[in-house]
Order: sequence, then C-alpha cells, then structure tokens
Amino acid sequence: MKLYEFQGKKIFEKYGIPIQSGEIVYPEQKLKHLSPPLVLKAQVLTGGRGKAGGIKLWDGSQDIKEIIEQLFNLEIKKEKVRALLALKSVDILKEHYLSITFNKSKSTPVLISGITGGIDIEKSAQQDKNQVYFTEFNSLLGILDFQIRFIADKLEIENYFEFKKIVLAMYQIFKDYDATLVEINPLALTPEGLVAVDSKVELDKQASFRHQELYQELKEEVNLITGDELNNYEDVEDTITYVPLSGDIGLVSDGAGTGLLTLDLLSKYKGKVANFCELGGITSPEIVYKALNKVHQDPHVKSVLVVLIGGFNRMDEMAEGIVKFYQESRKHIPLFIRMCGTKEEEGKKIMRDANIAIDDSLHDAVKKAVKKAMEN
Amino acid sequence: MSILIKSDTKVLVLGITGKSGKLQTKIMRNYGTQIVAGVTPGKGGMEVEGVPVYNFVSEAVQKHQIDVAISFVPPRFSKDSCLEVIESNIKFFVITAEGIPDHDVVDILQYGNLKGTKILGPGSAGLIAPGKCKLGAHPPQMYLEGNVGIVSKSGALSYEIGKTLTESDIGQSAVVAIGGGPLWGLKQTDILPMFEDDCETRIIVMLGEIGGTMEEEAAEVIKNRIKKPVISLIVGKSAPKGKSLGHAGAIIEGNLGTVESKVTALKKAGALIAEDSLDIVRLIKQIEG
Repeated sequence: MKLYEFQGKKIFEKYGIPIQSGEIVYPEQKLKHLSPPLVLKAQVLTGGRGKAGGIKLWDGSQDIKEIIEQLFNLEIKKEKVRALLALKSVDILKEHYLSITFNKSKSTPVLISGITGGIDIEKSAQQDKNQVYFTEFNSLLGILDFQIRFIADKLEIENYFEFKKIVLAMYQIFKDYDATLVEINPLALTPEGLVAVDSKVELDKQASFRHQELYQELKEEVNLITGDELNNYEDVEDTITYVPLSGDIGLVSDGAGTGLLTLDLLSKYKGKVANFCELGGITSPEIVYKALNKVHQDPHVKSVLVVLIGGFNRMDEMAEGIVKFYQESRKHIPLFIRMCGTKEEEGKKIMRDANIAIDDSLHDAVKKAVKKAMEN
Repeated sequence: MSILIKSDTKVLVLGITGKSGKLQTKIMRNYGTQIVAGVTPGKGGMEVEGVPVYNFVSEAVQKHQIDVAISFVPPRFSKDSCLEVIESNIKFFVITAEGIPDHDVVDILQYGNLKGTKILGPGSAGLIAPGKCKLGAHPPQMYLEGNVGIVSKSGALSYEIGKTLTESDIGQSAVVAIGGGPLWGLKQTDILPMFEDDCETRIIVMLGEIGGTMEEEAAEVIKNRIKKPVISLIVGKSAPKGKSLGHAGAIIEGNLGTVESKVTALKKAGALIAEDSLDIVRLIKQIEG
C-alpha cells in the first residue's frame, strides 16, 4: 500500500531524516504564513508527477492562488489532485537516488543507490550499469557498515556520518513499518547538508495485523483528502481479487494459475471476459457466494463460468455456497461449473441434489460458457 | 527415487490440529505418506488421525526420526513456527500459508539458507510423487505414477495439468508447486536440475505465469544445465496489463515479465512451448514418438 509523500515524510521526520519544512494545502483553504520561494507539490500516489506538471515553484512574482488553482485542476494519470504540499525551496548542489526494497528473485533486502537521482533513474539504470548500485544484505544482520561505506564512496558523499544516519534510519523504517519500499528520490545535497526532497513509502498490507493503530491513523489522513472515496483500505480479511473487464462472460476461479489458463482458453474460443474473480487463499461457502454475487452485479454478464479445482479448497464447501446463491438469486444467468479435487464426490452430490449441472472438463465448460454468451 | 521425497519419508505436520491441517493429514495418510508426529503449541498429548501431537518441534524430533516437515500454520503465526523447524535441523520443509508478511518470509528464507534447510513455499501446495508419497494438497485422484516431472508456481495449475496428463494415461514422477510468490524458497531454477538428475524423470514440464523474472532465469538454467526435453506453458497472455511499477520495481525488472519475453527466452533455451493444457499432451506424445 502506497503512502502519500506527506505521510512518508512524517515518518522520515520521526526517524531523524532531514526534510524541508512545509505544510499541507487543501482546496478552499485560507492561506497564511506562505512566503516565497516555495515548491508546491501535488499529492498523488501515481508516479511521473514531475513530468505531468505536478510540481511548481512559486518565486513571488505571480499570485500563488493561480498556481494552487492550476495544480488542483490537474489530473495525473487519472488521479485527481486533492492536496498539495508547500515546501521551503532548497538550493540543490547534487542529487542522489536511495531506496531499500526486496530483491524478490533472491529473497533478500536490497539497498539501491544511484549516483544521480531525479526523474530518469530507471533510464540511467538501464543505460549505464555504473550509475546504480544494488547492495543486497542479510535481513538477520541488517545493512553492514562496510556496505554503507562502499556506497558513500561510490556516491562521493562528503559527510559520511550524516549519510550513514540516513541509510540506517531508512532501514529502521523499512523494518518497523513492515515496508516493502522506502525510497528517497532525490536525496539532495544542499548547503545545509543532505535533505530528503521526496519520499516514497509502500507498506505490506499482509502485516497490517501488527500495525492496527498506524493503519487507523493513515486511513483518517487519507479520508481527510479523498472524503472516503479511495478503497485503499479494504477489509484485509477478504482474499477475493476482482478485476472488471469489458466482455460478457463472468469468471470465478479458485486459483490464480487456473484462472489465467481459463482466461487464455476463453480468448482461444473467442469468448470475451466481463470480469475475473479469484477466490484467494482462504475459501469458504460464504466466499464463493460473495464472488458469484459480485460477478452477477455486472449488467453485461450473459454467462458465468466457475472453475474449481481444489487442493486446500473443499468442493463440498464450494457446492454449498453455489447452491445457496443459485436458490436465492432471482436473475438466472446461465451458470457453467467445472468442479473437481478435494471432497469432490461430496461436492458433486450436493450439486446433483440441487439439480445444478456440472462439467468435469475445463475445455468443455469454457466452450459451453462462450456459446451461451454468444446466443444471448 | 523421486525428487525431495520418497515412499519411506518420515513427516512432521505443523498446525496438525487446525481444520485444514486435520483434513490434509487424513488425505496424506490415506495415500500412504508416513506422518509420524504433529505439533501445535498447547495441544501436546493429543492425537490427530492416530498421530501424536507435541507442543514443540524439539520434543517431536527427540521422540521420532523426522526427515521433512509441512506447515499448515496460519500466516500471522508462521514466522515463529518456521524458525522453530529450521532450528531443529529438519532439512526439507513445505510452507503452505499464503499471506505471510514479506519481512517474515525473508527472515525465514535467510535463516533456512544459513542452516541448510530447503524450503518449498510459502504459499506452496506442496508436492506429490505419485504412488510413493504426498506432501501437501495435491488431490490424489489426479495423478498417476510415471516419468514426467512437473514444476509449477501455482498449485491449482499443477493439479490441472496432472489431471490432464493422467486422463491421457501419461504418468508423473513428481509434481511440485513452488507457490505464487512473490518470494520463494525453492524456485523453478532449483527444481529443474533435480528433475535432470532424477533417473525416473524423462520429460520435464514447467508451468509459469506472467509477472516477475523467474521463467527468464529458468531459461538460463535450461540452456546450461538441462539435457532432458522441457515443455513449458506460460499462462496469462490474455490477462489485462497490470498497473505501472514504482521506481524500485521498475529498476529491478526492466522490461521483463511479459508472456512474450518469457516465451522468447524459453524458446531460445530449447524448450518447447505449449499453447494450452491439452497442447502439453500433444507435445509429450510427439517427444515419445
């Protein structure tokens, strides 16, 4: 889960990472105490903010209200701007890139550092391998001193102790907040020392159970900006993934791999998928009931395909949920079900008793669902 | 021999008293898997399906010979119980839980690495060596003893392909699900050489999906290390494009991760590419003549 710049910086401040002083500006807010030069930054979660014109400098020659209005009228990659961060402008002598994240292919944490920071960091990483360093470290030991010294050397950092303090604070945030990314881009060298000019922090929602107060606080902050519109804070107990698409076949599957295979098969047989609903790791009669309800709510759906192949997932429980939905639902959209795996016989019996037809072959079920959608 | 498990492998089950642990223990025992002990803190002294339950892994290890462990412990309690298994010097371990916090997973994997414990998972459905041993959730009726080794990220896809092959009378030496990621213990790149060295495996099937770079890494291993025929199916070519990655992700992954990039790398390494599940059957028959 991504945090806004101002939220990340609040954490930075708490951990002693130097940031520019500033304040949050909301629409229709009476402005006071603002004096030039100021940097005004749109608070959005999407990347590419600078290139989209979401950062403006106020040097005092213009009316600040005009700049603020311009920024609030922006839409950056479909994201509306609902808050600004007004920051004291700093003189930048040099810019670096620093982040801590996981190297997923090696299952280690990694400190990524760039000699130059800024908006083209990906490009410079691809163009010149000597511009960006990937320092993997053991999570049980943390970042080691010699690793920080190595990076400070490559980045030609003058004040090593100041730099080390920032790196260690980033690592502490990474651990304390169960973060999956702590990024400073750019880390600027100013006449007053190193300053984190931007912040990007992403949290692991899987760990929200041990940060309940923090999540409550973040939720209140985001509600203040978006007025409850963002669904960033959905119930984490719910493992359903729902992806709306533009076709006419609803798809429910109990595994991501078979779900993707089924999407490919539907497309092979010229079917168009209206939505894709994957049940996730924790299944129950209630979850499949909920999933069926969700795909049926799309008015374009003409047939529904349910692909179940249970290992941990029990077919008796799936059958129970499907039968309940079938008997309660008023609109009868044709339903095609492939059911096999753990407790298969028990599940099939429940379906037979309720007079609901099932298929054993995935290909057959896919073809039937496509044919029905084309007829209707 | 099969890979990782054999017919006389002695198994410890963690979280054996939970709903899922109980059911899976029963199905594994019915298949012939030798489950010798279980662990659930606070439930020591109980029996589940005739298996004695202990409070601590160290107690179970003292009383029984244990070769491998499998955990059905829920995600939020996983770190502690996984570290307990590694600390007890059990050398192979399946973690089935999905949704363990990333920091916990990395700590578990790094400690496992340090102590020489091979870990399958997290989020793994486990593996089955048909006719010999079943360590995980693979539905027994979908498998047949034979010579095709299957490795998959997704558990469900490994059931699906097992079922498809079995229906065509093509048996399997072992079927391994490594988990959906994004963090893994054993990976495709670790399992492929095991199949290469296993005398019962003649053909290898590798099942992958969009995202990440593991299939590209596997292509390197296939090129340099694998002489047996490899058939690969990558699912998700018609899936909607994902959201753009943040800076850190984009730096690590570059332009890799699409079906096209995976298929290109695998073809170049000499793997045969299957278009869908039935196409795997066609390719196996083609290889076997």
